[in-house]
Amino acid sequence: MKKVLSLVLVLALLVACAAVFTACSNPNELVILYEQDNDLKNTYSAIAVNPEKFADTDVEINTAGADALINWLSLASTRALIENYGVEDYGEKLFYLQENATVVEVEIPAATAATKDIALSTTTSVNDSGLMQYLMPYFEEAYGYKVNIASAGTGAAINAAKLGNADLILVHSKSQEDAFVNEGYGRVVEGFTAARVTFMYNFFVLVGPKADPAKVKDAASIKDAFKAIADTQSKFISRGDSSGTHTKEVSLWDTTLGITADVNALPETVKGWYVSAGQGMGACLAMANEQNAYVLSDKATYLTFKKNQGK
Amino acid sequence: MTESLARAFSLVFSGDKVLSEIILTTLRMAFSSSLAALLIGVPSGLLIAANEFPGKKAVVMFIRTCMGFPPVVVGIIVYILFSGIGPFGKLGLIYSVELMIIAQVVLITPIVAGMTETAASPICDRLSETAKGLRMGKSKVLALTFVESKYQIIAVYLFAFARAMSEVGAVQIVGGNILHKTRVMTTTIALNYNTGDFAYAVALGVILMLIVVAVNLAASLLQRGKKR
Repeated sequence: MKKVLSLVLVLALLVACAAVFTACSNPNELVILYEQDNDLKNTYSAIAVNPEKFADTDVEINTAGADALINWLSLASTRALIENYGVEDYGEKLFYLQENATVVEVEIPAATAATKDIALSTTTSVNDSGLMQYLMPYFEEAYGYKVNIASAGTGAAINAAKLGNADLILVHSKSQEDAFVNEGYGRVVEGFTAARVTFMYNFFVLVGPKADPAKVKDAASIKDAFKAIADTQSKFISRGDSSGTHTKEVSLWDTTLGITADVNALPETVKGWYVSAGQGMGACLAMANEQNAYVLSDKATYLTFKKNQGK
Repeated sequence: MTESLARAFSLVFSGDKVLSEIILTTLRMAFSSSLAALLIGVPSGLLIAANEFPGKKAVVMFIRTCMGFPPVVVGIIVYILFSGIGPFGKLGLIYSVELMIIAQVVLITPIVAGMTETAASPICDRLSETAKGLRMGKSKVLALTFVESKYQIIAVYLFAFARAMSEVGAVQIVGGNILHKTRVMTTTIALNYNTGDFAYAVALGVILMLIVVAVNLAASLLQRGKKR
């Protein structure tokens, strides 16, 4: 009898938690207020890891697997898949094809026991958009590979490759990618001109409360929109985690504000309205939603968040 | 109102393949790491409790400090050690369930050892007079302490299991939250939080709690059996 009673108590507690959670969810509406500015372009690149960098260690890089995946991403048929991703669900493209990208016409070798497992290190925003879960089954079923996708912030994703934990990376922060290649970690795949294979892009979007207190909707450019937020001291949620999105956001502020990627050196003058969250994209969107704040997001994660919200 | 709960139950009975895979991985990880921690931690805790030796206070203090290890820190350290270029890199364990178990054993063993020592110490004190009178050997005293404290050890195990089930900081880092491989319930919850699907996250949390409740019930039946 006591057992039944305690079980009932636990269940009641769970119901209470769910009820509180539901009652607390905020019905605010977070909408896209500014997009399609060239300054908001967000390019994605794949880089194969150079095994020579690990010649003195026991690290084994699956170069054949990395080659197969990068070649596959550059096939005309795969590009058509990328372009179609999300069109059905959202009524618009989530990713656009890089115009000057290398398009290959090669036969992808089938996986062997030695090349089967591919370790791909990528960023949370690539993973959270659902693109890889959509694409990988096509690749895996056709050629027998198994792609293990580990996702972390851009810094951590690149660092994983430097520690010998990835065969290739898929990230979106040009400056950090260039540094990776310059340090010798990149490898040029046969048939490509550079180690950094940029194959698609999308746009960051400025998201905020529908009421738009800073009137960013009327801004002439994204930089003007950011200036309007600063001028009106409207609340802004910054990722603050050295991610690709954070790096981009920092570059959009008026330089006189003194906002840099170094979150420990933020000027006193912005502390009232500029919130450095130090969290992932979804968490920052949730925070902006709760606090009626502005936030910069990649479009794919915003749309996924929006679709899931309130379920 | 109770949509999350409704969803939790419909999820449980839907036989969703990915979800059952995630639950199985979680159970495999939690049982393995809590049992390994029990096998190492209980004997260590009993040995410390039953013996007087120089530096005993320092050892106990050390274990109690380790009980407060931040999981994220353990995660990062294990990650670095088992990375490709790390000292244990050639084992190839990075981003595997096995490495998640190792990280959890590092986290949980001090807790098991510390709690066992705390539980067994008064029992040892009580037994020592009797043991002297009966001229019992060291190993016999140890065995007797174990038998006397088995009720507490079950509680210690439950705590270790619950901790292994609900831990996220370390397993997220060393496992990488890879779908079909290292994705467990807590990392799925974190992922769903990040994609804004809060209801699914809460639903998974409810399922997680139900599993812990089930294990607790099983253990309390075991304890009742022991008492008889």
